Amino acid sequence: MPTPILQVRDLRTQFLTDGGIVTAVDGVSFDLYPGESLGIVGESGSGKSVTALSLLRLVPDPGKIVGGQVLFRNEDLLQISEDEIRQIRGRDIAMIFQDPQSSLNPVLKTGFQVDEAMLAHGKTKAEAHARTIELLKKVRIPAAESRVKDFPHQLSGGMRQRAMIAMGLANTPSILIADEPTTALDVTVQAQILELLADLNRELGMAIMMITHNMGVVAGLCSRVIVMYAGQIVEEGPVEQIFDSPQHPYTWSLLRSIPRVDALRHERLRSIEGIAPDLLHPPAGCRFHPRCPFRIEKCFTDDPTLQDVAPNQRAKCWVTMERARREMHADDLVNIQPGAGSGVRPGDQT
Amino acid sequence: MAVAPAIRAASVPEPAQASLWTDAWRRLRRNRLALAAAIYLVLLVAVALVALFYTPYRMSATGIAPDYAPPSLAHWFGADNLGRDQLSRLMIGAQISLVVGVGTQLLVLAVGVPIGLLAGYYRGWIDSVVTFIINVFYGVPDLLVALILVFLLGPSLANIIIAIVATRWMDMARLVRGQTLALREREFVEAGRASGAKPMKMLFGHIMPNALGPIIVQATFGVPAAILFEAFLSFLGAGVQQPTPSWGSMAKDGVDAIRFAPHMVIIPSIALSLTLMAFNFLGDGLRDALDPRSRR
Repeated sequence: MPTPILQVRDLRTQFLTDGGIVTAVDGVSFDLYPGESLGIVGESGSGKSVTALSLLRLVPDPGKIVGGQVLFRNEDLLQISEDEIRQIRGRDIAMIFQDPQSSLNPVLKTGFQVDEAMLAHGKTKAEAHARTIELLKKVRIPAAESRVKDFPHQLSGGMRQRAMIAMGLANTPSILIADEPTTALDVTVQAQILELLADLNRELGMAIMMITHNMGVVAGLCSRVIVMYAGQIVEEGPVEQIFDSPQHPYTWSLLRSIPRVDALRHERLRSIEGIAPDLLHPPAGCRFHPRCPFRIEKCFTDDPTLQDVAPNQRAKCWVTMERARREMHADDLVNIQPGAGSGVRPGDQT
Repeated sequence: MAVAPAIRAASVPEPAQASLWTDAWRRLRRNRLALAAAIYLVLLVAVALVALFYTPYRMSATGIAPDYAPPSLAHWFGADNLGRDQLSRLMIGAQISLVVGVGTQLLVLAVGVPIGLLAGYYRGWIDSVVTFIINVFYGVPDLLVALILVFLLGPSLANIIIAIVATRWMDMARLVRGQTLALREREFVEAGRASGAKPMKMLFGHIMPNALGPIIVQATFGVPAAILFEAFLSFLGAGVQQPTPSWGSMAKDGVDAIRFAPHMVIIPSIALSLTLMAFNFLGDGLRDALDPRSRR
């Protein structure tokens, strides 16, 4: 295994709200290897975006990183000065956002904004300008020479996202963090953008961290995936392996909720019962237990840790799907009410 | 080969959509009132410029006409209590008014915009201090502050401008602060920060251009307010000093003679009113033209 380019250790980010402290990222640790594409999956509020923002210290108020390390080139990004982290942003670690409509400045010309990404890191105006057209071509914007003079509202959604990606690539960063880059786009455009990212990942050897709630996006682009739930990593491993045999019940239900072309027509889509937990008052024990079909008594009180469940695959679960399949007939389960597989109801555990 | 670029240039169509500014200009042109106001103001600026080199008579020359002479062919706007030509004095007065109005707003921009940007972007203690100072300035009567400042500094044109700025910078600072508070939450600010832009670049390169519409409108409304304030100071005798005329001091000179020489009050008052109205109509027009919600 090569040495990781980015090592995140026990990252904790909290939001101080009127109601109390919300721990949006709760002890997240993972490695990112050079040139790999890592997917971070989770539903809204799982802490995936805040994790990404924490890496570059961009957490908005009232958020605060309260602990952990982010090691990049033997430096802890959480300890260096504000000016040093500013220089890392965009030059070594670039980030693109969900909605290209609002993440481009509406009153500045597109080309100018790509120029600026380079001017912030010491390129001259002439160098930047020449490279902007080259970059726009690289992200396959047609008629790039004339598009540089367009304002963002004159571009289509897909083109705007391409321009954002061009800005991200401007300083040839070693890591590109993409925060739901395709969510705001049409399905066909989504596919084009993913393809572009995959090609850039291959061509430039740039590591991509893809934040998404869409398992399909992960399957199409990533080689490794991290699944987050309620601010914690619940499972991680190689994509094929996770899709083949997910070990955490949450991953398992997430994969079951994807519509399938080969499913029988009358089969209903299976959603995950219950709602994401309130992080102001996180449940005791395993955070997924109130929604978990396979919970056992222990899950109500004791929080499991991430442990190896297969080569390169780790899951944060007392039961794991292997046992759920063996003992609880998980695959035959149609109704996945909480406790449906194990038969454990709240109150049973006393 | 030489003709090839020309052919290519001709075949590239102009973009159908216009930028924010050309768009705003198009809407402004459709607003008759604002357009008329703009034309009036252009003429006023032309008069003020002409007055730099030429006035019908020397504005300080006394006894050119009989004292209190009513308008005539030789003296279109009549003469004042010292027999000075009113038209010449009005032209110089236009210079004073424009310099005070525009000069004040330029200074207000220079003071209010950076303060508002800093307070809105950094929030925290900077914002608390700025908001406190703004409230203090709003708390004291502006006329009192201006009069005291003029008496302390002396009644020169520059000092009058400074005195007006001291009572008028808060509106701009507060407006820009509010705009910045809203704009800093927009995603492009986060994206800019993520690309490593320096804080000053974020403030002046990304946030300020987005607030330019409201800033321009505010400054346009600020011009007539400043002109009126100067006229008021001059009327009280704390303005530009004799023999330099200001529309306010011209009206003051005429007040005693209002029964038998009403033109001395009426003419500078009309000039003042028309100018104030023109700036206000232009400000209104600009507000409509630059408001993205009024698009099309």
